[in-house]
Amino acid sequence: MLDREILLEKMRTTPYLPMKAKIIEAEMVTDKEKFFRIQLEDKLNLGHVPGQFVMVSIFGYTEAPISICSSPTDKGYFDLTVRNAGTFTNKLHQMEKGDILGIRGPFGKGFPVDNMFGYDIVIVAGGLGIVPLRSLIRYIMHNRNDFGNVQILLGCRSPKELLFEEETKEWMKRSEIKFNCTVDRADPDWKGNVGLITTLIPGVDINPTRTYGIVVGPPIMYKFVIGKLLEKKIPDHQIIVSLERRMRCGLGKCGHCQIEGVYVCQSGPVFTYSDLKNFKGECHEKAV
Amino acid sequence: MKKQSKPRVAFFDFTDCEGCQLQFANMGQTFLELTNLVDIVSFREIMSEEGQDYDIAIVEGSITTDNDVTRIKKIREKAKVLVAFGSCATIAGVNGIKNRSSLELAKKRVYGDKAGTINSIKAMPLDAVVKVDYYILNCPPYIPEIIAVLKAILMGKPYPLPNYAVCVECKMNENVCRYEKDQECMGPVTRAGCNSWCINNGNRCYGCRGLVEKPASDAAKDILQKYGLKVEDILNSFTLYNDSMGEKYDQELK
Amino acid sequence: MKYASLKKSDLNDWLKHLQKKAKLYAPRKKENLFVFRPVKEVEDVCLEYIPTILPPKKYYFPQKEKLLKFSSQPFKTAKAIEKFDEFILFGVHTCDIAGIQCMDVAFRDAPEDPNYLNRKDKMTIIGIECLKYCDEYANCTSMGNHVPRGGYDLMMVDIGEKFIIHINSEKGERLVTKLDYIKEASEADMNALERVREAKKKIFKEEFTAALPKVYDAFDKRFASDVWKDVGRRCVACGNCTAVCPTCYCFDTADDMELSLNEGIRYRIWNSCQMDDFAKVAGGEDFRKGRDGRQRHRYYRKFKYPVDKYNRYFCTGCGRCTRTCMADISLIETVNSLLKEEAL
Repeated sequence: MLDREILLEKMRTTPYLPMKAKIIEAEMVTDKEKFFRIQLEDKLNLGHVPGQFVMVSIFGYTEAPISICSSPTDKGYFDLTVRNAGTFTNKLHQMEKGDILGIRGPFGKGFPVDNMFGYDIVIVAGGLGIVPLRSLIRYIMHNRNDFGNVQILLGCRSPKELLFEEETKEWMKRSEIKFNCTVDRADPDWKGNVGLITTLIPGVDINPTRTYGIVVGPPIMYKFVIGKLLEKKIPDHQIIVSLERRMRCGLGKCGHCQIEGVYVCQSGPVFTYSDLKNFKGECHEKAV
Repeated sequence: MKKQSKPRVAFFDFTDCEGCQLQFANMGQTFLELTNLVDIVSFREIMSEEGQDYDIAIVEGSITTDNDVTRIKKIREKAKVLVAFGSCATIAGVNGIKNRSSLELAKKRVYGDKAGTINSIKAMPLDAVVKVDYYILNCPPYIPEIIAVLKAILMGKPYPLPNYAVCVECKMNENVCRYEKDQECMGPVTRAGCNSWCINNGNRCYGCRGLVEKPASDAAKDILQKYGLKVEDILNSFTLYNDSMGEKYDQELK
Repeated sequence: MKYASLKKSDLNDWLKHLQKKAKLYAPRKKENLFVFRPVKEVEDVCLEYIPTILPPKKYYFPQKEKLLKFSSQPFKTAKAIEKFDEFILFGVHTCDIAGIQCMDVAFRDAPEDPNYLNRKDKMTIIGIECLKYCDEYANCTSMGNHVPRGGYDLMMVDIGEKFIIHINSEKGERLVTKLDYIKEASEADMNALERVREAKKKIFKEEFTAALPKVYDAFDKRFASDVWKDVGRRCVACGNCTAVCPTCYCFDTADDMELSLNEGIRYRIWNSCQMDDFAKVAGGEDFRKGRDGRQRHRYYRKFKYPVDKYNRYFCTGCGRCTRTCMADISLIETVNSLLKEEAL
């Protein structure tokens, strides 16, 4: 059987049973974030779409939804980058290379990469938003000729919170991907932009009907960034977001992740702005 | 958890009836299993020898004298983990009734003309004086919850208290609502976690676990109206356990 | 055989027969209310009852249900339940049967929930049709659930001295055949059934002031209505309404470690959109703050969202949420207020 078939069969017959997975690399990448490289039992490929998430299990601590930050083109393993923000993630941070985790998934709808072929791409990442976007960026880099111009705008609070610094430098070196970074507060060594991420958007040169704008960041960021992209005349269905909600079962049953009638774990976490416009009031990220 | 050395547990009591510790004796077989995980070094009710060094201090009773304040601070200094155990230690419990009147009046009522010689301060839960790491609520504590908290301590993870009403658990247990039986019950405003222990056994809820964090005062009024109850009835039940923390709530309700 | 008849005096014999076939659950009295319980003494079974405190969902979607067994060192997982037992739900009202149908729809929707479906496979439903209102809280007529609409194996109707039993499945048929006290219904029986149904039409009247499509429209347009603010102001967030609802199925998961701190079980436990941290994420943001939004969500999950998703209303009309509400929030009044506002 193909890896994909094995995973789908598991999901169909025993959706609540986590698969065994081994941490093959673990490293603190900032003060608060830890990077994990994970291998499923029998070295199964996760076969995800960029933007999907997995449910990570630690027995005694239940589960948490974590975005996958590697590309499906990275074979034999997948990556997670996790902020220490609660009981579960605190325990996860204590785990090291060689330790075993449980994994269910991949879940949800990822970025519409098939529809994005041939288009220009503007990626806007705020803070931890770069984590799921790293999956997409790597995917684009591995299939570079399938996409038009690619620009990445990255914002975070301070330079020491900057994730994937080595990779970022590599992205910057690559002439075929434009990269721009800003911090809310600079430190003495910082030579880049200072200011909110929204300040970078007016300067971006795009052909709106041929462009996908992809936005991932903290809840507060969306409406402002979406507003700027709308000013640029990018069509609603080409503005793509990924929303954070409290995914618990991953099967569209338990109800925690619901925005109005929509289960984010199944219909999201990736949505188009056209989807967002249909929400009547429970979607904080919708532009005003 | 590392197996090599078992954490040492000591029990202490302040102003209370010492009934909380009895719950350990009531555990039976489970208590013996617990002793595989921890060493009990000081336990007045069921052990004779008093140990000196400890990692986990399980403390019952309220703080009611200056001496208590000094003593709990010493325990806090020595303990790696401090557990407030039972209603008196977590919410001041029944001792809080003392706070209903001025300290002078309370002293006079109890000690008459000897009042002047008595050292007594306002009744307080432990966390009014020292940092508390874990809370085991209830009067007396509910054994499954004691075990759940101990497991959390041994796993080194927090034990978050539920912030919803006893009604949630009570409904799951399919009890007939006490209000249906014309009894006032503290369930709708009391913090869950006891698996509606009292109501399951035909009693009503007295609020011994303290109030949920955001009790809805408007809604509480509606309940009173619906069942034709007097505010005083409810307040008398609230203040049985919740005087030390109930002041704000009382005002809203009035 | 499509319709059978059973003399009331033979009911207890039949119950004893059913007891031998499978685990039997039926309504019985508890203080001044009613509950479904395993039948020990058939005399305790009570067929004249107002909806039980909890719907029978506790038998196919238990309050606390094991999902898996695990061990940390070495890493092992296993299904928590290997075998599910046959069971019969006896004396189920048509509103609660509608509740089971709703749950079927939700749990069969891909990805399926095998825990639910495994239980459901073992379930036999013997319903009883209500001939009068249980109380003023029910809105079964507006929901169309005051009459049987399928979803059962057998349906009993009280025609006086006898029960007429509608046989709706092979599973059901096996429970009424080869018993000398259950006969095929005669023409006279069928006429009696017809008369009972006619009489019923005079009793059951739509409880909402408009038909369901209008109710849907009102929900569609009145998301920002003050009705929700009013309901939210009164709500005490006790979670009673969702616990007793036959179509509320939100849950949380939790791990229970044994004292070894190595082995344990993962289970799911009923949870409610009325709870404080229900929609809160790790970063601290709460996506459904406030009791108005939470109550609105509960209502929309009955009258709007499932209609969009499954083409089915998830209110069964049982009236439990109103009956149990600490703050007297009435479903009929809430829906009618919304309709009134929409008509203005």
